[in-house]
Amino acid sequence: MTIIEKILSRSSGKQVKPDDRVWAVVDLAVIRDFGGPNVVIEYEKIFGDRPVWDPSKIALTFDYQAPAKVSEVANNQRICREFAKKQGIHRLFDVNSGIGQHVLLEHGLIRPGAVVVGTDSHMNLLGAAGCFATGVGTTDMVATWYSGKLWFKVPETIKVNFKGKYSFPTTAKDLTLYFISRIGPDKPNYKSLEFYGEVINGFQVHDAITLTSMITEINGKIGFVPTNHQIFEFLKSRIGSAPEPVSADADAVYSESIDVDIHGLPPQVACPHTPGNVRPVSQVKGTHIDFAFIGSCTNGRYEDLSEAAAVLKAGGKVHPSVQLTIVPATIEVARKCLKAGHYETFLEAGAMVTNPGCSLCTTGHHGVLGKGDVLISTSNRNFLGKLGKGSQVYLASPATVAASAVKGEIADPGEFLR
Amino acid sequence: MKLKGRAWVTGDDIDTDQIYHGQYLPITDPHEMAMHAMEYVPGMENFPREAKSGDLVVAGKNFGTGSSREHAVLCLQYLGISCVIAKSFSRIFFRNAVNLGFPVIECPGLSDTLKTGNVVEVDIDNGKITDLTTGESFQGIPASGLEKEIAGSGGLIEYLKKNAR
Repeated sequence: MTIIEKILSRSSGKQVKPDDRVWAVVDLAVIRDFGGPNVVIEYEKIFGDRPVWDPSKIALTFDYQAPAKVSEVANNQRICREFAKKQGIHRLFDVNSGIGQHVLLEHGLIRPGAVVVGTDSHMNLLGAAGCFATGVGTTDMVATWYSGKLWFKVPETIKVNFKGKYSFPTTAKDLTLYFISRIGPDKPNYKSLEFYGEVINGFQVHDAITLTSMITEINGKIGFVPTNHQIFEFLKSRIGSAPEPVSADADAVYSESIDVDIHGLPPQVACPHTPGNVRPVSQVKGTHIDFAFIGSCTNGRYEDLSEAAAVLKAGGKVHPSVQLTIVPATIEVARKCLKAGHYETFLEAGAMVTNPGCSLCTTGHHGVLGKGDVLISTSNRNFLGKLGKGSQVYLASPATVAASAVKGEIADPGEFLR
Repeated sequence: MKLKGRAWVTGDDIDTDQIYHGQYLPITDPHEMAMHAMEYVPGMENFPREAKSGDLVVAGKNFGTGSSREHAVLCLQYLGISCVIAKSFSRIFFRNAVNLGFPVIECPGLSDTLKTGNVVEVDIDNGKITDLTTGESFQGIPASGLEKEIAGSGGLIEYLKKNAR
């Protein structure tokens, strides 16, 4: 069996195969300050004061607008806080915490093999930790709070083998952008993916998160990075005991097996207006930019920010016509950056460093774009108008974004590191 | 059941920010959500004011890609759109539609002769789509199995209430 088949077999209590419809027992159901208030309102409209199925299996993470900047969101956050109190839900990570999935990982609430649902389409980045996590809408979440179970169609699995190696300043983000542009959004629709290869074996948690966080952009259900030694040790230290990784059987059946040659891969950039519109940095360098953003659930971890810091240290100041915003994924990441001296580097370079959260990605905070503005960002989406009507967004790695911020145009980070 | 209405035709990869922009996420009243439906699809800025109850949305590949926001389905449902037909759907949008009992029909063979303003009839039981303006017809994929039961119950909550946990 594949990884997803094993997880859904355990959670549904029967042997599953692709295309089966199953009712899976949910291990953790998470709402945010976006989507979440709708869940609370809808739940109370239908079920009134009826206790949720299990308050210990519900978490709230506020990252959409942290802290609230408009009164509607302040009211929505209040609705969620009051509901948590009333229902005895203790796992509330408020606006001072950071991006939900990352906070849950850091707090040891994510175990391999678990079924996790959340009101966030990037919930599935937790495939980096070997659990089946998926983004759901209001109705799915209300149903879960009521019954503790949710229906799923068992997806087929695509096996992806990465061949070869690359070296910094090429990073997991470049591998990810290259991969999603090669596979496209049609083939993985409603499929699970499993990633293998030497480079995957060497992945740290943050690399695995970057790759799995962009499976949504190719319509995949989830992508799994098999739990290697580094990921195992991270999870063990957070959970407080040895996790039990789920791995595919040797005779697992895949819908197809794809080889992707990433040997010597140069840095990649996704051009407007789809994440799959990817070119090597050499083809787009020199493109004018006005804004740069380093952060998000895709690239907001300590190691991501450290890569940006290395480039900024080598490159010096942010270009006078560029505004660079740096947002740590969580408060833990922020503290690590502070200890490492990165805040000094960032502020010295002229960057703005904000409190943790989803920031620009949700147009929640820290700046939206005007007509004609061009942003280069480490996030995962560059949809038309997402960050402001008439604006353009390029996606790249923290190193490439930092290099571009210094040059005032899209730049190859290698230029600063040679 | 047959649905009949005017078509609003859009292209491929219409994402959830185009269907319902992130700036409106704080809205919790679905009637208010309806006033922003499809607002960011180029050329459809007036859709919420010009669409009539019973109209259909016809899309290309990968409709609803992006966010898990159920707002993207609710805004169309509460505007009175009767159905979305697309060459293909992104998975979360499709799932949210099933859970809300909102008809969605996948039809890979849709033709470009189906234009905005054409009158279209959809049989949601057998998936047959007829463009009454041109006389052409297309075979869509009707819901089956659990999805059909959920959608047929009026959505996931109704289904769960009927089939006690």
